Amino acid sequence: MQVKNRAEEGNVLIVALCTILIISVIGANVLRNCTTRFNVSSSQVRSWKDSLFAAEAGGDIAYAEIRKSVFDPSHAFDGWTTSGGKYISPVTTFGNNNLVTSTVVDSFYIDPSGNPWYRARSRGTAQIRGLRQTGMDDRMDAGTRGDSLLRKIDFNTDHFIATYGPNGDGVGQALVPVSQPQITRRIEQISAPITPFEAAIKAAGTFYGLGSAAYIDSFRSTVGPYDPSVRNNPSDPRYVDARSGTVEINTAIATIQGSIFGNLYTNGGTVTKKTASVSGVIDNNVPFSVAPLEMPSTATWNYVSTPTAVTGNTTIDPPMVNGAPRPGTPGSPNYYLISYFVNNGNLLVNPAVINGTPQDTYVTLSVQGDIGNSTSSQPTITVPANVHLKVYFTGNFQTKAENIINTSGYAGNLQFYAISPTDPSVQQTINLNSGGGANAGFSALFYAPSANFTINGGPDIIGAIVCKNFYANGNVHWHYDRRLDTEGVAIDYRIVSYVEDIR
Amino acid sequence: MKLKTSTSRLAFTLAEMMIALSASSVLLGATLTSSTSLQKSFNAIDTYFATHMQQIRIVDYLSRDVKRGLVVTTSADLQTVTITVPNYIIQAGDPEAVVNPALIGTPRTPTMTYTPSGWQVNYGANTSTVVYSINGTSILRTENGAITTIASSTDQLVPQTTDVELANTEYAKTSITFQPIFTSGGAVAERTGTTVYSTAYLRNKRRG
Repeated sequence: MQVKNRAEEGNVLIVALCTILIISVIGANVLRNCTTRFNVSSSQVRSWKDSLFAAEAGGDIAYAEIRKSVFDPSHAFDGWTTSGGKYISPVTTFGNNNLVTSTVVDSFYIDPSGNPWYRARSRGTAQIRGLRQTGMDDRMDAGTRGDSLLRKIDFNTDHFIATYGPNGDGVGQALVPVSQPQITRRIEQISAPITPFEAAIKAAGTFYGLGSAAYIDSFRSTVGPYDPSVRNNPSDPRYVDARSGTVEINTAIATIQGSIFGNLYTNGGTVTKKTASVSGVIDNNVPFSVAPLEMPSTATWNYVSTPTAVTGNTTIDPPMVNGAPRPGTPGSPNYYLISYFVNNGNLLVNPAVINGTPQDTYVTLSVQGDIGNSTSSQPTITVPANVHLKVYFTGNFQTKAENIINTSGYAGNLQFYAISPTDPSVQQTINLNSGGGANAGFSALFYAPSANFTINGGPDIIGAIVCKNFYANGNVHWHYDRRLDTEGVAIDYRIVSYVEDIR
Repeated sequence: MKLKTSTSRLAFTLAEMMIALSASSVLLGATLTSSTSLQKSFNAIDTYFATHMQQIRIVDYLSRDVKRGLVVTTSADLQTVTITVPNYIIQAGDPEAVVNPALIGTPRTPTMTYTPSGWQVNYGANTSTVVYSINGTSILRTENGAITTIASSTDQLVPQTTDVELANTEYAKTSITFQPIFTSGGAVAERTGTTVYSTAYLRNKRRG
């Protein structure tokens, strides 16, 4: 029998094993390298970006609720919880990657017009799939981290709550475990009110006017009183402010007469420089929308039970609180419900006087029905200096221009708001007629998005108006006060500030 | 029965040795060459990936700061970016912290100022300045004087940022390239082939 000598095969086996080992080591290194970097670029970078998307989505949800405080006040922040004056959203999970967001909103500032500003703090969280480790390129040098300094990953506990507390103010730090590695980013957005009087005249429908010798110009009352010579004097530093009497028309039907010292915008109109005297830009492609006006929330207002009607001569004095008249504040005015305003009623609203000094006094009326309902109506509204009056009404408004008496001369101190009819077939109207002299006029603001506005005669007006259709046939002298661009109730909100808490 | 042993098969003939040695040498040479090439290739890819990760990091840093910024300014050579950002967190030495040290490290409540261009939201009286710059082979981020190395590579990382001003906002377009350590047959596009692009818009209204 022959025995096979196997000594020749041992060397081959070792060489083969060594080769496999070397190749395996190289392969393992390649694999480790690839998976680690793929883990960073695919999972961690993605989650870092996703978490910002989630936080911004939370900010958008909050912004939608803030806008509801104007467009649908009774349903604003529905489903949110309220605690300590803050609105706290439910936790929302969305998207294929199960992003999570939540927001806390608070009104942190009431501006001089009484409009709340909102701060929305949103957090967005994205889970991280893959390996529970940082990348291979994290350490820049002995003392510097790279990726983990930028993208703070919570592998086991929420680092933010542990270090800064849940609200980031150093209160309530705690070790809160996370069910899965995650990244959370936090943003803060400030929503500011948009006020309605950014132009002298804003008509959502048609426009006709003014008279052939009429003009619209502007000034800024914080700089000085109105001076008719400034608009034609380029060397005057107030010249720019004198040529901002802008007219905005949201239709193509724009019959322009008189002079406009400002810009003219239409929506599809054919206005050219040849057909009107317009000092500024003519743009015939500026559409806009004006939402119907609802009665705003009265939650923070100070309701006063009397008077309940304006009959004959009616005087409103501030209510007494602890022996002193209450002047109110922009955010909490003295608020009166007026069930009717007789056709020839005369209303006087007095300021609070403390130690012989009139105080800035904030008053809001809600009038059910009309303020003057025929051409013979001559209701009078008198607002002495220091009184800031807002009048909401649900019907029509009709009087003589001279019967709107605003002693301060600042249009922002007398504001009229026409609540839009709930029945679309009802056409609301505002008619103002001259009287008491060719130039007798007034200082006031009108926000009447559903009303047709008519001026007969040529009163001298300081103010601004937002209406549906506009008609004026006289030689009106209209002076827009640029200070008014922050006056009035909020008609919408815009986000004016964005900051990320990068801790 | 006695087994027969063949002693002649215990060694190789010279010819066999020569053939075996030749074959072994070829195999060993091929193995060494392949291993070296593999190692070089691995090293190049590793460096490529590492630099690519740093490209992403630079983009992410820049995007984060641009989004929360108030104004972005780039230098003429496009390699230095200066961003003004709000002072969101109260720091030691800030006026609020002097009055109440407990406020250090807490978010600041903004104040509002009306300017000719509209309302302005301010987090404190001052703002912070963030500067991105190149220093040798490193990319630096300097915030109020504090320097952080956010990328460091021997692959000649070059970020270039352009700020484009619009009516109310601004955006920053960034492209980052590097020179890979391996080449591909004299191709001229080695650097351009590594470009990573990014565009980030200011979320705030541009100031200045």
